[in-house]
Order: sequence, then C-alpha cells, then structure tokens
Amino acid sequence: MSTGTELWLFTVSLGASALGGMLGMASGIFIVPVLTLWGHVDIRSAIGASIVSVIACSCGSAAPFLKGRLTNVRLAILLETATTAGALSGVLLVGTIPASYLFFIFGMILVISAQQMLAKRRDPALAPIQSLTGRSTTWRLDSSYPDRALGRDVAYRVRRLPMGMVLMYVAGLISALLGIGSGVLKVPAMDTALRLPIKVSSATSNFMISVTAAASAGAYFVRGDIVAPVAGPVALGSVAGAILGARLLMSISNERVRLLFVVVLVALAAQMFLAAFGRDWFRGIA
Amino acid sequence: MKPIRIEPLLAGVLNVGTWLASVVIAAGLVLSLFHQRTPFLPGTQVVTAGIGLFVLLPILRVILMLTIFLKQRDYQFAVVAAVVLLTIFAGFAIGILAK
Repeated sequence: MSTGTELWLFTVSLGASALGGMLGMASGIFIVPVLTLWGHVDIRSAIGASIVSVIACSCGSAAPFLKGRLTNVRLAILLETATTAGALSGVLLVGTIPASYLFFIFGMILVISAQQMLAKRRDPALAPIQSLTGRSTTWRLDSSYPDRALGRDVAYRVRRLPMGMVLMYVAGLISALLGIGSGVLKVPAMDTALRLPIKVSSATSNFMISVTAAASAGAYFVRGDIVAPVAGPVALGSVAGAILGARLLMSISNERVRLLFVVVLVALAAQMFLAAFGRDWFRGIA
Repeated sequence: MKPIRIEPLLAGVLNVGTWLASVVIAAGLVLSLFHQRTPFLPGTQVVTAGIGLFVLLPILRVILMLTIFLKQRDYQFAVVAAVVLLTIFAGFAIGILAK
C-alpha cells in the first residue's frame, strides 16, 4: 500500500463524508462505487471499508448535532428497534434475492423519496403546534430545536409513529441487503411519516446510522472481511468529512438542504438503475 | 432526583471514542507506511484494533443510554434500549454462525 493510495483513499472518503454528513446520510453509498470503479478495490474490501466508514461518519458527526439539540435521542433509540430488526431480517435474507432486483427496488425507492421531498408541504417550523394527542405523547417524543436561520427555538411534534416504525424497518432491511448506510432512506421516512423539521431528521438519522450498521459491521469484522490498509484511510477521511458536513448543515437553510438532498437522490437513483440493468461493476454488492 | 442531561454525555463519549479510534488507526497507518514494527504489533494490526474500536463505539452508546434510562427510572425506554442491544448481539451471532 503506497502513500499515494492511502492519500487518495483518505481524500475520496473526506469528500464523500462531508456531503453525506451534510445530508444526514452515511458516505457508504458513495464510497462503494468510487472504490470499485476508480480505485479497483475488490468489492468485498470496498463493502467492509464502507461499513466502517458509515460508523465512523455517524459517530464523528454526532457531537455537534447533540450539543446543538438537533438530535432527538429518545426518538432515535425507539426507531432503532425497528432499523436493527430490519437489518437483522436483511442479513437473514441475503442471497435469496437477485442483486439486480435489489438495485431496481432501491432505485425506485430513491426516486419516490426525491419526489416526496420536492412536493410542497407546510413548513413545520411555521405551522402552529397541534393538540398533543395520540401515541406520540405516551412516549414523550415531542421536542424543540434551536434554529439558527430563524433565530429562535422551534417546537415540533412527532406524528404517525407506527408508520414511521414500519418505514424504519424497511430502511434497515433494504440497507442491510444492499450493504450500505441507511440514512438515504431514514431521512425521507422521518420527513414524510413523522413530519419532522429536516434538520432534526438529518441529525437523528445520523445518530441512528452507527447502531444500524453495528450488527453487520461486527459480522464483517469477525469474518475478517475488513481489510485494514483500505478501511483505515477510509475511516480517517470519513471522520474528517463528517465533522465538516455537520458544521455546514447548521449554518445553511432548510430549503437548501432539501434541494441538495433531492439532487443527490436523483443521481443515486440513476446509478442504481444502471446497476440493475447489467452494469457488472455493481452486481457483486448484495 | 436531578435529571441527567443525556445529550452532552453522549456527545462526549462519541467524541472521545472517535478521536481514540482515529488516533489508533492513524498511528497504525504511519507504522505500516514505513514498514516498521512496534515492539508488540505490526502496523496493520494496530489499524485493525482501531477499526474494532469503531465497531464497538455504537454498542457502547446503546449500553450508556440503557444505563441512563435505568438511573432515571425510565423503565419504558430502558426496555427499548435493551431490545436494541439484544438485536445488535443477535446480528453478531448470525455473522459468527454464517462464518
């Protein structure tokens, strides 16, 4: 492993994680294609490195979100029961579904997510707080966060929790099947089902990603699929990038985060459809 | 009982854990780069140890949350945290069995 290769791995991971951290999603989804396409790293090492990077990214960017009171910790642990259960089902299902089907499904999910995020709806930051009835109150999940752009605290309510749990289960399942971080599914799920402010969705998703990834990462680690010379520089780059991304998220507006997210979703969907229709470089993932 | 502010505590643990794992990985990479060996371990094994720390960090975070919920006598959420922890361990077990 030369100095040049390590530096390249570090730089690529830094860029991927800065973008990922800003959007509340992990860098794995970028790292696997970049490593296999441009880096000629074999697919198993790429996935192993990407899983470590997913955890590093999530842990490294969590602190500023937590201190900024953007992360809803109680909601996160509750939703993690669904994401980890989904991941567990995914691990059990691996190998029974053809990879090309999986990429097609993922592509469709990304397109639907992008469309939902583009759809106009009332900004929860401006909507009046509705009466606190229903299941969410028994779990005491409603909270508030300080919005820098608005310059005041914004109270929000967690809505439609059962639907959110179902979507989280699906997010955990699909991400385990595809071997990537699941922020790209968690953020739209929280946005559409629970109707949270996008910054709270991003921060809470980022917080949850490490726990969702932990089970599969543990299995990879135990089996020796994580190759240190690849995973090491990638993990280091991810930490640096994730911290950078979190800083950027706090100082830009909700609408810009939403637009950037939609652009990335569409780009990834195109990538997934290419993989579904016979681009062999991506086939080995699942 | 004084309520514990959970967020700064979690932020601290994740921060320290991330730094620790990163420093171990960086040290291992420098060692392997110059093809040197520590008196105990080759560089790549130091990197692997750092990666192991990263894998353990989220599990430590869930254990910490479980402890805090128990201390606060918030048994509803203590059960939730315990379920998450058990699910992660089940994932490890599947990985080991599928070896």
